[in-house]
Amino acid sequence: MILTAYRVEMSKIFSKWRTFIGFLALAVLIPIVVVGMSMQGEQFFKFATAGLKDNFEFSGHLLNGYAVAYIIFSSLYLHVPFLITLVAGEVLAGEATAGTYRLLLTRPLSRATMVNAKYLSTLTYTFLLVLTMAILSLGLGIGFLGTGEVFIIRQQITILQADDLLWRFAYAYGWAFLAMATVSSVAFLCSSLVENAIGPIMTTMSIIIVMTIISAIDVPLFDYVRPLFFTNHMNSWKFFFDDPVRWDRIVPSFIALMTHIVGCYVAAHVIIRRKDILT
Amino acid sequence: MSQPVIEIRELRKSYGDFKAVNGLSLTVNQGDVYGFLGPNGAGKSTTIRMLMSLIAPSSGSIKVFGMDLQTHRTEILGRIGAIVERPDFYNYLTARRNLELLGRLSGADISRSATTRILGMVGLDARAESKVKTFSHGMKQRLGIAQALLHSPDLIVLDEPTTGLDPHGMVDMRDLILELAADHKKTIFLSSHILPEVELTANRMVIINRGQAIIEGAVQDLLNAGRLKVTIETPDAAKALDVVKASPLADHIHSHTDNALILMLEQSEIPHVASMLASAGVALRGIVPVRSLEEYFISLTREAA
Repeated sequence: MILTAYRVEMSKIFSKWRTFIGFLALAVLIPIVVVGMSMQGEQFFKFATAGLKDNFEFSGHLLNGYAVAYIIFSSLYLHVPFLITLVAGEVLAGEATAGTYRLLLTRPLSRATMVNAKYLSTLTYTFLLVLTMAILSLGLGIGFLGTGEVFIIRQQITILQADDLLWRFAYAYGWAFLAMATVSSVAFLCSSLVENAIGPIMTTMSIIIVMTIISAIDVPLFDYVRPLFFTNHMNSWKFFFDDPVRWDRIVPSFIALMTHIVGCYVAAHVIIRRKDILT
Repeated sequence: MSQPVIEIRELRKSYGDFKAVNGLSLTVNQGDVYGFLGPNGAGKSTTIRMLMSLIAPSSGSIKVFGMDLQTHRTEILGRIGAIVERPDFYNYLTARRNLELLGRLSGADISRSATTRILGMVGLDARAESKVKTFSHGMKQRLGIAQALLHSPDLIVLDEPTTGLDPHGMVDMRDLILELAADHKKTIFLSSHILPEVELTANRMVIINRGQAIIEGAVQDLLNAGRLKVTIETPDAAKALDVVKASPLADHIHSHTDNALILMLEQSEIPHVASMLASAGVALRGIVPVRSLEEYFISLTREAA
């Protein structure tokens, strides 16, 4: 029954135009960035490495597909969650707004099955969006600019060879899915609480904005709360591009994100199972 | 004796201090077309939502097909088709697609021929490929019936099924209910504000008010109980009025016009009134007794209020 309900939910999700906003946004934005970088990316890299010219001599192709994919990943990472909430925030509350809970919950399936099917379809949508981002940025980047080393300046300078990058991107996109699944789960929980589809979308976006701002303010007071914010752990994908990979930073973030995912999922379950359908 | 299909016992639902349903008990037997009547706010929709497991009762029990709703929810819902209040659908999907998705969840035959047949039954076959957002309220109501019948349920719960339908649609709906009960042996639980609809289709009924059953029984038995509304047609209504006012039946006067006097009478009192008026020289053109569910419903709910 869960498979049938899942298929029904997927059909519903992909029958709504708002589902395609995210894919459309990525399909427009990523090619623009790749084409722009291929035309004038050298200037970008000259500017980025200007402060290091006195101490380092750069050779080879700094501008390549991997480097562009890395830049796109860093830039879009904070914006993709907003695209995800458009769908995940509506998945339960949309039924309440439309009055279709009455149709759905009078079918011979348990509420738990219905929640599971909706949650799985939300995760599927999230996965497809991250996969689209990966295919477009890596595919177009490598297609236009070829492969090469990536020069990463963070707390230390890391130079990663071309043959050492693809697996790191695979892990990073895997992490991106985990992070976006956390966003989906928060939106899903918000969606179970209210009966207006706009509410959960706005609430989830607000949570992300508030947490991101607080995380960015370097005040000691916030050091205590920062680890509790899931937005703080979403950025841990960068540790896959350290050499060696910083598993000591990745594992706690993984636990934190999984805790959020499971917590939101269980809470949404309890809420829906106890909910009186009055709409 | 036929098997009970629905057994509701001491059902209650409270929202804070407000008791939406307050100790309701009723029994619907197999093959019944069961009228569920009550004024606005009487607790009909709340009861139907509890019956369809959309809201949880505060206390009491609901058994359907002999099984407890709480413990056999999925099994029971597989044998019920329902319209609960407004007919809302996925507006961005076509009528056929809505039926296909809902049918899948009910384990129904969702082949093209099956959905075409069911859409034809409710007169929507020509609009099968139209998105529901282009439908009128009446068309959505018809689609609501279609989705309720899709999986050939044994029990059909209809909450105000003729709301929004035109007169033809109302007659079609009435005929469909009678056909489902007579030819397909379905049990039908029919909540309606349109009392003649219940009078013409239901064999048993309950009237509820303030969350409680006021009266339950066979429709004909209930119709035969109480007084009739008797219209005495006469060119001399003023004189007829004086005669009745002077008699022990003075408190039975309902209303009057220039050409008619309306009394609320027991069946046995009609000949006596006719004779009394004739003796007093009142010319009678006709005596028309009407016993309607509407009168009965209004009198009962007024008494209860």
